[in-house]
Amino acid sequence: MLGAYLPILVLVVIACLFGLGSVVFSSLIGQKKPSKVKLQPYECGCEPVGTARERFSIKFYLIAMLFILFDIEAVFLYPWAVLFKRLGTFGLIEMGVFIVILFVGYVYVWKKGALEWE
Amino acid sequence: MISHHLLTLLVFLPSLGALLILAVRKSDALARLVALGFAVAELVLSGYFFTLDTVHTLYPAPAGFFQYENVHWIDFFGIRYTLGMDGISLLMVALTAFITVIGVGVSWQGIKERVPLHFALLLLMESGILGVFLALDLFLFYLFWEVMLIPMFFLIGIWGHGRRIYSAVKFFLYTFLGSLLMLVAIITIFLMHGAQSGTYSFALVDLIGTKVPYDVGLWLFAAFLLAFAIKFPLFPLHTWLPDAHTDAPTAGSVILASLLLKTGAYGLVRFGYPLFPDAARAFTPLIYAAAVFGISYGAWIAFAQKDMKRLVAYSSVSHMGFVALGIAAWSPIALSGAILQMVNHGVTTGALFALVGMLDERTHSREIDTYGGVWGKVPALSFFFLLFCMASAGLPGLNNFVGEFLVLIGTFKVAPLPAGFAFLGMVLTLVYTVRLVQEILFGKERKPLVMHDLSLREGGILAVLAVGAVYLGVSPSPLLELVKGPVALLVGVK
Amino acid sequence: METIAIPAINLAPIMPEIILSCIAMLLLLVNVFVPSESKGYLGVLSLVGLVATAASVVSGWGQPVAAFGGAVQLDNFAVFFKLIFICSAALAILISDKYVVREEINHGELYPLILFATVGMMLMACGMDLMVIFLGLEVLSISLYVLAGFNRGSLKSNEAGLKYFLLGAFSTGFLLYGMALTYGATGSTKIGNIAGFVATNPQVATNSLFVVGMLLIAVGFSFKTAAAPFHMWTPDVYEGAPTPITAFMSAGPKAAAFAAFIRVMIVAFPTLKHDWTDLLWILAVLTMTVGNIIALSQDNIKRMLAYSSIAHAGYALVGFTACNPEGVAGILFYMLSYTFMNIGAFAVIVLIGKKGEANGNVQDFAGLGQKRPLLAAILCVFLFSLAGIPPTAGFVGKFYLFSAAIKSGYIWLAIIGVLNSAASVYYYLRVMVYMYFKPSEEDFDWVGMTPAIAVCLLLCVATTLVLGVVPGTVLELAQKAVQF
Repeated sequence: MLGAYLPILVLVVIACLFGLGSVVFSSLIGQKKPSKVKLQPYECGCEPVGTARERFSIKFYLIAMLFILFDIEAVFLYPWAVLFKRLGTFGLIEMGVFIVILFVGYVYVWKKGALEWE
Repeated sequence: MISHHLLTLLVFLPSLGALLILAVRKSDALARLVALGFAVAELVLSGYFFTLDTVHTLYPAPAGFFQYENVHWIDFFGIRYTLGMDGISLLMVALTAFITVIGVGVSWQGIKERVPLHFALLLLMESGILGVFLALDLFLFYLFWEVMLIPMFFLIGIWGHGRRIYSAVKFFLYTFLGSLLMLVAIITIFLMHGAQSGTYSFALVDLIGTKVPYDVGLWLFAAFLLAFAIKFPLFPLHTWLPDAHTDAPTAGSVILASLLLKTGAYGLVRFGYPLFPDAARAFTPLIYAAAVFGISYGAWIAFAQKDMKRLVAYSSVSHMGFVALGIAAWSPIALSGAILQMVNHGVTTGALFALVGMLDERTHSREIDTYGGVWGKVPALSFFFLLFCMASAGLPGLNNFVGEFLVLIGTFKVAPLPAGFAFLGMVLTLVYTVRLVQEILFGKERKPLVMHDLSLREGGILAVLAVGAVYLGVSPSPLLELVKGPVALLVGVK
Repeated sequence: METIAIPAINLAPIMPEIILSCIAMLLLLVNVFVPSESKGYLGVLSLVGLVATAASVVSGWGQPVAAFGGAVQLDNFAVFFKLIFICSAALAILISDKYVVREEINHGELYPLILFATVGMMLMACGMDLMVIFLGLEVLSISLYVLAGFNRGSLKSNEAGLKYFLLGAFSTGFLLYGMALTYGATGSTKIGNIAGFVATNPQVATNSLFVVGMLLIAVGFSFKTAAAPFHMWTPDVYEGAPTPITAFMSAGPKAAAFAAFIRVMIVAFPTLKHDWTDLLWILAVLTMTVGNIIALSQDNIKRMLAYSSIAHAGYALVGFTACNPEGVAGILFYMLSYTFMNIGAFAVIVLIGKKGEANGNVQDFAGLGQKRPLLAAILCVFLFSLAGIPPTAGFVGKFYLFSAAIKSGYIWLAIIGVLNSAASVYYYLRVMVYMYFKPSEEDFDWVGMTPAIAVCLLLCVATTLVLGVVPGTVLELAQKAVQF
């Protein structure tokens, strides 16, 4: 019964071994010639400026979260649109309910001032 | 209409008084008066039941009960509101009403804080105890059994002395633990009876007929016995008692000793033995041993006490041993003696606690060492002290003698050995009583004490108790007549 | 192009959820559109919504209706539980108004969140499909995570929110994994179909996939009911969360977890009954004992009640272990009683407390018996009921649960249960000892009763006593509610 899952297990084991192996072997075998530039954190090839532990304004997080929320909900619209005709009126009503609930959330967020930057 | 619900009135009249006191709370004096009024009314009402000798009931009553109420309550579990009174209950009810009046009397001036609450709790206590003595449905009995604890917990904790909080919590936990196991036993026999007969009922009359396998019966009886033995208190389950008695306020001690201990004995007579006769027979040697040992041990420890209240408390352990002995013998004479001894002990020990309370109010000391030569200063108080000490020691002509004598005679026929040991215990009783009397009343004055003699109120209380003690000692036959029928039914002797 | 056949849709069984969701959304909007500093009107509106929902719930009594292809079913069992949830939400809202003003967390979102949590609980009670139950659980949990951390300014509340979120997510993982394995073994997420599959393929009981699935589901629900040894989150969360929310969490969501737990176990896994009752036996004993013993040493009264609520879940598990109609009816009755007696106790804590969750220790109750005799007496009723002393609802509930256990032959479980009750008396008495036996060291900073809390206290006291003295009707209803 569980035999069907054996390939997955094998895959997991191989993946783990591969990951561990590359790290271990490269540190064992590879040459080590540290230089200042090499030890710097990678920042798109530019000179690193300031500390890497910079704090971002909370507003970024808020916007990001709201974006994810509404973006994910929007995903539902695609399959619905594809099957729109076959779903008929029922589909329209269902999506209407869905949009209204989303809209309530949107209005709440808006009025709460979460979308304002200042 | 009301005549059919006299028992309900009897049980709940004090609660009504308590609610009234709590609702008004205008002045302390008013609270005292209302409490006294209700306590006396209750006493009168309980006296009225002595005049009802024929069966006087709307509901078909089981044999022996001349007052009976049986009403639907929680049909879901087959629980009914069943109260019934036979001669034994009547005696206990009368004792309760009487002692409550005394309790109100002794705390008239001693209690100065939160007076309304104190008297309300006394009356609530009375309701709970009366419920225990009258309930014939095991659920109802259990309910009153638990409810009874609550006022006493507060009485000890709020107005007590010394380690009052420790004693109050210990008292509550000890007794609660015992009764919870009894609850499991009650549920078990309820389910067994239901499975056997098809109708689920908590009524004592129904449950008595349950066929209980012998080994199960032993466990069930053990659970009942544990609950009752803690209240009793039988050695070695008595350790809560000295603490609770010593630290309780006077009225609390009086009610604890005179009434609460009796509920344990009553429960054993009314429920424990009739429900599980076979198991009870098996346990009888154990009860004999506990009773006999308790008699001697209580007396012995009492002798060593320095605190008067503790001394009286241990004397209770000793005296209640006789009650246990009489119940264990389970013969008509011994059982009648045990029931009589319950009343006697109630009167005598109540009086002794009241006296100790009065001494304490005067000198603020309960140490025996403090006193000496009291007779010369307060002759009236000393007279009563001597009288009740003698009663407690079992002087013929006074109340305790009759009960203990009957118990010894009854037990001797069935089990000579325990009776013999109990007799030796009686001698020990004499020893510590004489020591108490000698050191306090006579002897020489150890500390200069300023004392005034009895006030009218105190004199009245003691006089009433003394009349009771002498009456019970001289002419116990009306009481014996009263319990004769029920005892014969219980023991199964025609 | 052919149209997809849409099955007939019967909205009646989820009408309560629809009503309550709409009202909660409406409240969200009202909250942002009405510029008012005081948010009390939102509380009033929520109560109106809850009453309307209750009316809609009650109409489902006596006629079980299934809908959505059997994914939800409004039967007596669900109705009884839903009423418990509605009561707990309503009582929590009643004790919130004063508290949120005092703690300066008077944000209108409190009320919609409580309502959404209630919607989630209701879905759990009527879900006949593992996915619906999971959905309800998530709606409930997410609302509760926010509510637990509702007091943003308080470190403890933040800790409560985060802790609850992490451990809640963890337990949800167990539950979901269990559901997935069960689905893998039986090919359905519908409880009825699982039961059918098990009945026709009895050999599945030996399938490790199926057994592990059941165990993981049990573990997930044990987290949610706060059964030991999965109770670790409870004390911190209950202590840190705002008091009315603690009251709410200890009553409603616990009952909801039991509702789903009972339904899944009894309907879906009847053939494994002997295995999971053994498991529950151990859980019950551990839960009662751990809860009571740790509660003995607590000074903070919210923490004490948190441990006591663990113990109470243990008593309910006793009835569950008995696994007979009486046991389940006992749980129903007990959860109802517990809702009233526990929220009542929390109402008094709200009244005694001071800003910043101060005055929450048992020592702060010293002298209450003299200063506020009526309030102290009321608290005594709740404490006696929690301790299971007659004549209160708590006693009747325990009586029912323990007699169910004895009837099923679990006499030792009942004995362990009553011994636990005896131990629990100590810490309930301790509060009374402080209230009545010790003088207060300072004057009470008495802010006074609000009408809402007065109503809540009155309801709780009345219910606790009525269910203790004349429980007949409710007991019969609970008995009739045992149908799945």
